[in-house]
Amino acid sequence: MKVLRSFSLWCVVLVAVAALAVALRPSASSAANRIAHLETLVRCPSCDDLSVAVSNATSAIAVRHEIAQKVHAGESDDKILTSLEDVYGTSILLSPPTSGLGVLLWIVPLLGVLLLIASALRLARRR
Amino acid sequence: MIVTWLGRAALYVCFVGAVGGVIEQARALRAHRTSHVRWWALGALGGIAAAVGVMEFALVTHNFALAYVAENNATFTPLLYSITGLWSALEGSLMLWVLLQSAITFGVLLYYRRDRDSPVVGWAAIVLLCVGAFFTFLMMGPADPFIHNAAHVLQGAGPNALLQDNPLVAVHPPLLYLGFVGFSVPFAFAIAMLVTGRVHERWPLEQRRWTVLAWGSLSLGIVLGAWWSYQVLGWGGFWGWDPVENAALLPWLTATAYIHSVIVQDRRGLFRVWNLSLAIATFALTILGTFFTRSGVLVSVHAFSSSTLGPILIGFFFVVVVVGASLLAWRGDRLRAPVGVDHPLSREGLFVANNILFVGFAIVVLLGTVFPLLYQAINGTQVTVGTPYFATVAAPLSVLLLVLMAIAPLVSWRSADAKVLWARTRVSAWTAILSVVVLLVAGVRRPAEVIAVFLAVLAAGAALRTLRGSLVAALRRGSWRSVLRAPSTGGMIVHLGVVVLALGIVTSTTYVTRSEVTLATGQRTVVDGQLVSFDGFHNINDALKSATQLKVSVDGHQLRPAITTFNGRGGTTVGTPAIDSNLARDVYVTFDAVGGTGNTSGAQVQSGLPTGSVVLGVTVEPLLAWLWLGGIVIGLGSALSFFRRRYAEDVT
Amino acid sequence: MKRSVMVTSLVVIAVVVAFSLFLATRNPVNPTATEADSPLLGQPAPPITGPRLGGGATINVASDLGHVVVVNFWASWCGPCQVEAPNLSTFAWQERHHNVDVVGVVFNDTVDAAKAFAAHYGSLYPSVVDDGGVIANRYGVTSPPTTFVINAKGVVAATLLGAVTTRQLEAVVARVQLEATS
Repeated sequence: MKVLRSFSLWCVVLVAVAALAVALRPSASSAANRIAHLETLVRCPSCDDLSVAVSNATSAIAVRHEIAQKVHAGESDDKILTSLEDVYGTSILLSPPTSGLGVLLWIVPLLGVLLLIASALRLARRR
Repeated sequence: MIVTWLGRAALYVCFVGAVGGVIEQARALRAHRTSHVRWWALGALGGIAAAVGVMEFALVTHNFALAYVAENNATFTPLLYSITGLWSALEGSLMLWVLLQSAITFGVLLYYRRDRDSPVVGWAAIVLLCVGAFFTFLMMGPADPFIHNAAHVLQGAGPNALLQDNPLVAVHPPLLYLGFVGFSVPFAFAIAMLVTGRVHERWPLEQRRWTVLAWGSLSLGIVLGAWWSYQVLGWGGFWGWDPVENAALLPWLTATAYIHSVIVQDRRGLFRVWNLSLAIATFALTILGTFFTRSGVLVSVHAFSSSTLGPILIGFFFVVVVVGASLLAWRGDRLRAPVGVDHPLSREGLFVANNILFVGFAIVVLLGTVFPLLYQAINGTQVTVGTPYFATVAAPLSVLLLVLMAIAPLVSWRSADAKVLWARTRVSAWTAILSVVVLLVAGVRRPAEVIAVFLAVLAAGAALRTLRGSLVAALRRGSWRSVLRAPSTGGMIVHLGVVVLALGIVTSTTYVTRSEVTLATGQRTVVDGQLVSFDGFHNINDALKSATQLKVSVDGHQLRPAITTFNGRGGTTVGTPAIDSNLARDVYVTFDAVGGTGNTSGAQVQSGLPTGSVVLGVTVEPLLAWLWLGGIVIGLGSALSFFRRRYAEDVT
Repeated sequence: MKRSVMVTSLVVIAVVVAFSLFLATRNPVNPTATEADSPLLGQPAPPITGPRLGGGATINVASDLGHVVVVNFWASWCGPCQVEAPNLSTFAWQERHHNVDVVGVVFNDTVDAAKAFAAHYGSLYPSVVDDGGVIANRYGVTSPPTTFVINAKGVVAATLLGAVTTRQLEAVVARVQLEATS
């Protein structure tokens, strides 16, 4: 079919399908989804690196109940995470804080990749 | 006592063999005479083989005169786990490492025996033997496996519980170590090329083969490790971004970059200095990896017990990097290719993008792994860097890598022609859109899954198209079998394996469901579409272990999740998950708690539940088996790539 | 840049020197318990009474004793409890004349299994059988091992989650005693 040879047509169809996919995607803000998301961010207190979402230790189950309670009580994600930090210490969160030193964790990779791209461009310019 | 002295003597023989070989080779280089280094290497291999033999004999006969055997073996340990006891703890694992290193060193020297007068082979021999000597030295000092056990013990402690309940302990460490050790070969030749200044000969291309061997083993080793943790750790996952897991991933990432950029060097002579740097970096990262695993500096469920090895291993890492970087500083600028990349979207340009992504990924994983140490040193408090961080960073990188896989095999060298690319991608492009529409209609709508399938179809399409081209060329040459050794066949099959693996990872993590069900004996229920029934208890009590098994059936298949207590070591209790697996989904069942005052070997008791009922953890993960399938395909592809014809042979 | 490889290599060497020195000077991790900020801190300790494990006189940890009490919730099926058991006994023996008592509380376990555990680890301190998990509820214990340190005034002064080491107990108890006198 000759019409399938058109790249522009494919692009148009791609955009249309993408828009459809975005429209149909499951909502992210329901309570259950919020709880599930928060559970992946909190470490099980008696494990090394498992989140409470996947661990079946009693301490993990207890934290899961706490999170569910707080979400249903209407607290914001940030407030819930901070209150857990207060009880268990900073190491209870599986992702380091984005303020203070934690910023390094996001900036350095970015800088590193930019550096690599810059050297690659320099390589390309040497003809 | 005899065992101790026999073992230590064998280690000394190995060390003398390595050091003697270095001296012999150094003299041969100075006097410009033929070197007999490979016989010294054979001596070293004999020494470590004898040491391994002594230790294995002691393990299999449960000889507790050796402290190592008393700590990792018991009279009731089955034969398989006695044998794998060689690498179940730190000192023994070093023996496995040196065995593989000595075998590879001798193998390489044998393979290049006709070139033994070449200074490149000579210097490579020196480097390889030095690496072997270093690890042997560790065992002669701080990590002695043959320490005599003065106490007259009748029974040993047995291996760690998690190292004796799954046969994968017999394959994962050897394959993983084969990968790590294998990277010493490209490293040794890189140093040799820098020292002698001979980068222009065939040596860089020879290294591709050894790198593919090491890379293939490491890939298989990592996938098998993931499969093993999946089967035993009890949370239904296969990768935790644990420091030791990351330690294995780091050299894999730079090695993958190296395998790709070496293709460009093969075809167009570019990236010579960059490839040398990658070879050095990959080996340095394996040393850094052993540091993380054996120093106890980072908390990990996989780490060997902490020891005094930390500073020594970091010292070796330091030496490796400084020697490599200094050689590069000295020679590097003179070795650069005079030409450059013609167009950023040509095949070469896309390989550059590939390298940026893989090396960038490695930098990020390294940073995330050591960040808790940095943070504690500066701020004094503990932080954890876990899956949320790594997954957030890995996702966009993986998307870009899949895009590259979809385009690069179809793009020409030196130029970028959009029309030609579109003509080659057309079929996959439309199939990809069609697949997405089918998914959306069928109700599969999570963005991660939709994007993954779209890119997977494109990437698979590019690989299949390239394979078809090779097959057509082979048929034209008269033999379809010659496609197996065609230059791109192995690589494209690896790409297909990666696509399958990626789909498995994305689908199983996006659509995983976890539930806890309480069932009384004889009761059944439907959990996430699976029919689960509980039919009673079954107790096992033998010399090795005592276990309370649950008779569970999932969709008609019998499973036995259990809580197992291994005798020895004061009785360690672990959960034994049971898995019902098919290509569509895995059902992962764990014995979480028992009701009433049930007397079980260590299960949690919930007195709120009636006696005889149990709490089961049921995790359903779609397409999880695709991970292992993808791993097998990757292994196959690497094997084909190892045997592939050189590009030059193919053209003539 | 003509000398770019040399410059890059020298930068790499500098970074690796710093990195190696940093890693070489890290101490191996000593797994210890984490101190948690439980709601019981500063509150009068809830009563601990019950039958003694293994028979004998009923245990009653009265609130106002005049000495420090270390209360450890444990279970035979809990791995970290096995790791810390020798440490607790060592500590109990060490402090037996220094006005520090150690009392265990059996958490969610059968009496037989608990007795076997205590016998195996040669427990040098008494443990209370917690029928129905009442004591655990009062102390808000969700997962063993959890250790509470009650000061001489009967107030909960520290909460530790996870396996404790002898040195850690010494440090925490010393701190609690100091705070109680100030």
